[in-house]
Order: sequence, then structure tokens, then C-alpha cells
Amino acid sequence: MKASDAMDPHPVTLKPTDTIECAANYIMDRRFRSLPVVDENNCYMGMFGVNCLLKQVIPKAVFLPHGLENVDFIHESFEDLYQRFADVKDLPISICMNQEIQPIEPDAPLTKTLLQLYQTRASIPIVEPGSCKLLGVVSYWDVGERILAAGKLKNA
Amino acid sequence: MHNLPQTDVIFGMSPVWFAGGLFVVTYLLIITERLNRAIISMMAAALMILSGVLTQQAAVQGVDFNTIGLLTGMMIIVGITRESGVFQYLAIRSAKMVKADPWGILVMLMLVTALLSALLDNVTTVLLIAPITLLITDTLKINPYPYLFAEIFASNIGGTATLIGDPPNIMIGSATGLGYNDFLFNLAPIAIFVLLITVIPIYLIWGRHLSADPQLINKVMGYREKDAIKDWVLLKKSLLVLTLVMLGFIIGHDYGLQPATVAMFGAALLLTLHVLPFSQEKQSQMVTKSLCDVEWITIFFFIGLFILVYGVETTGLLEMLAHRVIELTDGDKMVTAMSILFVSATASAIIDNIPFVATMIPLIKNMAVSFGGTEELLPIWWSLALGSCLGGNGSLVGASANLIVAGFAERSGQPIRFLPFMLMAFPLMMMSVLVSSIYVYFRYF
Repeated sequence: MKASDAMDPHPVTLKPTDTIECAANYIMDRRFRSLPVVDENNCYMGMFGVNCLLKQVIPKAVFLPHGLENVDFIHESFEDLYQRFADVKDLPISICMNQEIQPIEPDAPLTKTLLQLYQTRASIPIVEPGSCKLLGVVSYWDVGERILAAGKLKNA
Repeated sequence: MHNLPQTDVIFGMSPVWFAGGLFVVTYLLIITERLNRAIISMMAAALMILSGVLTQQAAVQGVDFNTIGLLTGMMIIVGITRESGVFQYLAIRSAKMVKADPWGILVMLMLVTALLSALLDNVTTVLLIAPITLLITDTLKINPYPYLFAEIFASNIGGTATLIGDPPNIMIGSATGLGYNDFLFNLAPIAIFVLLITVIPIYLIWGRHLSADPQLINKVMGYREKDAIKDWVLLKKSLLVLTLVMLGFIIGHDYGLQPATVAMFGAALLLTLHVLPFSQEKQSQMVTKSLCDVEWITIFFFIGLFILVYGVETTGLLEMLAHRVIELTDGDKMVTAMSILFVSATASAIIDNIPFVATMIPLIKNMAVSFGGTEELLPIWWSLALGSCLGGNGSLVGASANLIVAGFAERSGQPIRFLPFMLMAFPLMMMSVLVSSIYVYFRYF
């Protein structure tokens, strides 16, 4: 089995110019964990997801290398968190999309794809070999559904 | 010149030329920062031995294990103590003591940084204080630059005050036998004075303009500093051992105890207290973690550097240079001390003060005969300590702590640029050195 066998070929995508507020509302309404960000040529640029949102409302000093390890002394309300979110909500998602999630090619073995899915904890973008064109996305749900469907088929 | 077996000719050169050339090339490579400094110094040390300037036995003799032991021991102690959260507690408590007033916070963080730098090492201190600073300035929505700038200065000034505050002092103390109290009595008064006068220009430039929204100030006042303490038991153990170690530094010198012995004993004691309640497997994990907290790059950098400088020393090159310095200053001790103070400050602003001091130590030792004995060198040693420690404030590359703070600033979106920093910092540093020169003059001449 290959990565392409588990991918959703018509994933919902975001544009790098979408605002953080707009993208946040979108993924919250539909309970997405992460979505791929593509430019006008459908070229994959990164992933935007719930982690990006969380990062915006936690004090920056935590995310610095050698940053704060203990934040037990900070006690904040949802209003405080929203204030931090409000400071960035009109900025484009390109400022916080995750570019470390490496896309894989459609012919990549399924096990490799699943391992990457497990390690990155975000949907894996599948791109055309030799280019950045997004072909689809492998998510937890796509993989889970296919595994369970295979079980049902076997038991039928 | 040392009586060590030595090759007469190396690659067609006399040992003096070879060792001198290797020394210069090593310095240049360290300045360029193209390769990790530990690799450079280890490579240079190996070449000293491979070329025959030193035998392996002689190279080992050249390593100052007192400096290595003191650094390693303190790094282990601080690494474990840090886990308790006590340093975060101190920073938050100090901010709340001044009711989270932006200028008051800057002064308090400067004081805490200076105090911790005097008792621990500068790099550890800024690693602990800078993230809290960024949290506070982010909460108050004020520019962190003045705070980080002030902390750089405070860390280098605080480090000047004690034997263990800054690596140059550790090296000088180890090479001369000067103890913790000697450094405290001779350098702490001027370090405190320099810190106080440094506050004035910082206030005039930034301090008087600092203000924050009262609502945001209330947020900082809402921090519960007690919650910053992660482990009360570890805190008590750490403070007990730190107190014992400080006492050991203060009274141990009179009983012939070297600082390295005190620090290593303290490290072993704290490790024991820390891991004893746990299973053998967990103990191994905890000891491994504590040893990983040691900055091995710095330790190996020191080892290589000691061998390199010892190699140069054995060729007689530093003795020749010492005579040259005395000729240039007409054998006047005061002029020599002042020259060393200003030259070491300027040099330390441009290059790493560790290799500079490593070179200056044997060079100054060679002046003892000309000045009438080792006792006569004391003002020169204090001048070297003041110049090399305070000089670190002259530029961003002057001290490792400066680069750590600059890294934090960069990642928080408020970069500290090399030139603007130097334009502000170099005159301030020279002011502190000028004040120090007046102190040295009136106290020792």
C-alpha cells in the first residue's frame, strides 16, 4: 500500500493570506486538527492547525529555546488569553503555519506515512514528485476509516 | 623557560615560531567562529603535542584542573538548583516588590542578575533571567531592549565581584592562589559602585520613559511567585549545599582547600541528596541529566586552551613578551597595571576574554622578578580581572552571556544589533573601566 491509497484527494485548504481569526473560526467550526496552506498555484507551503492557535495564546517566553520551563505561577482567564489572541488575529496565517511538517510523495510506503503521521501528530501533505503541488492529505480519520473498513470487509 | 624536553625544529621552524604561529591561527579561528571553539582549541592542543612542542605528560601538567573542577562542580550544582524554580521565584518576587513599576522592575532585575552572576556563572544567570524578563515585558507591552541591555551589563559587572563570578576570575584565582575573600574584598566594592553608576545612564536613556498600563501592571502583580517553586524539598537541599559551598570558598582557603575541591564536593553532596530517595535506575537517569547540564563545550575549550598556552609558555615566548611589556612601561608598576586594565578591557570587548586571560596569566607571572616578587603583582592581577570582566560589556561578542541574551532578544522579535549595541555599550564599558582605574590607582598605589 502507498500513501496515495490513504489520502483524501480533495482536502480543504487555506491560503497564506487568510487571517488567523478566519482560519481559527474555520477549523474550530469543523473540528479540524490541521489544514494544508497552499498558494494560488496549489503549491504546498505549510500546515495550520490547533497547535498554531494554542501557541498564540500561551506567553511567548515559553516557546523560546531555553525559555520558561515552569508557568505554574501564571494564572490567566479566558479574557486574558483572548487578549493575546486579539493581538494577532488580523495577521496572516503564514506567520505561524508549521513548515516543519515535510510533505511526502504519493508512492511513499503506507507504513512510512503512518509513522510520520504518528510522529508529527498532524495530517501529512502529499505532493507531486519533483514539485510542491498538493495532491492530497493523509489524516488520522482517513487512515482510521480505511483500517476499520478493511476489518469489516474481512469479517463480512 | 620551563625545563621540558622539546624538539629543536618543527616543520623547518623553531618551536617559538611554530607555537606562536599556532597560537595566532587558533585565536583567528576562534574569532571567526566558523568552527566550534572547543574543536579549535582541542585541535590546537593536539598539534602542540604532535609537533613535539609538548609531550603528552607536559600537556596534562599545563591543564589547570582547579579551574576545570570549579567550573564543572558549580555547573552541576546550579543545574540541579535550577530545577527547584528558585531563580524564577527570585525574579518574580523582585518585580512584585516594586509593585511591577517598569523602571523599578528594570532596577530589580539588574540587581538580581548581578547578585546571581556573582554567585553563579553569567551564562546560567542570563539563561534564567532573560525568559522571565521577556514574559514580564510582554505582559506589560513594553520594549524588552532596555531590560536585556541592563541585564547584560549587570551580569558582567556582577561576575566581576567574586572568584566564581566570571571565568577570568576563576583562572586568575587558580593561577595565583588568591582566594574567594581576596576577590570579594578587592573587587566587590568597585563592582557594586560600577553597577550603581551604570544605572544612571540607563535611566537617562530609557528609564525615565518607561511606563505601562495599570491593568497590565496588575497582571504582573497577579503572578504567584510561590507557584514558581517546583520542588520545595529540592530547594531546601540546594540552598543548604550552596550555603555550604559558599562557606567552603570563604573559609576553605585558610585551610588549604582549593575552590575546585569545594565545588566538586558540593556537587557530589547535592547529587547524593538529590538522587538518594530514588531507585538505582532512576538515579542513573538523574545523574546522567545533571552531568548533561555541564557545558562540556566550555570545559573542553578550557582544556585545549590551557595546553595551547602552556605550549607557547614553554617555548619562552611569553617571557620575551613580558619583558617587552615592562620595557614599554619603563618598569613602572602603575603604568603596567593601567595598561593591562585598558588593554584587557578593549581586547575582551572584541575577543573572548577566556583565551585572552589564559595568555595574560603566564605573561604577568613572568613579570614577578622585574617587579620584586609575586606580592607586587597584586594590583596587576586586579587590573586584569577588572579589565577582562568589565570589558565583556563592550560589544555583543564580549561575553557568552551577551550572545545568549541577544539570542533571546532575536527570537522574541526585538533583536539586539551588533553596532547599535556597541555604540551604546562601549562608552558605558569604558566609563566603568575608567572608574575602575581610579579605584586601582587610589587603592593600590
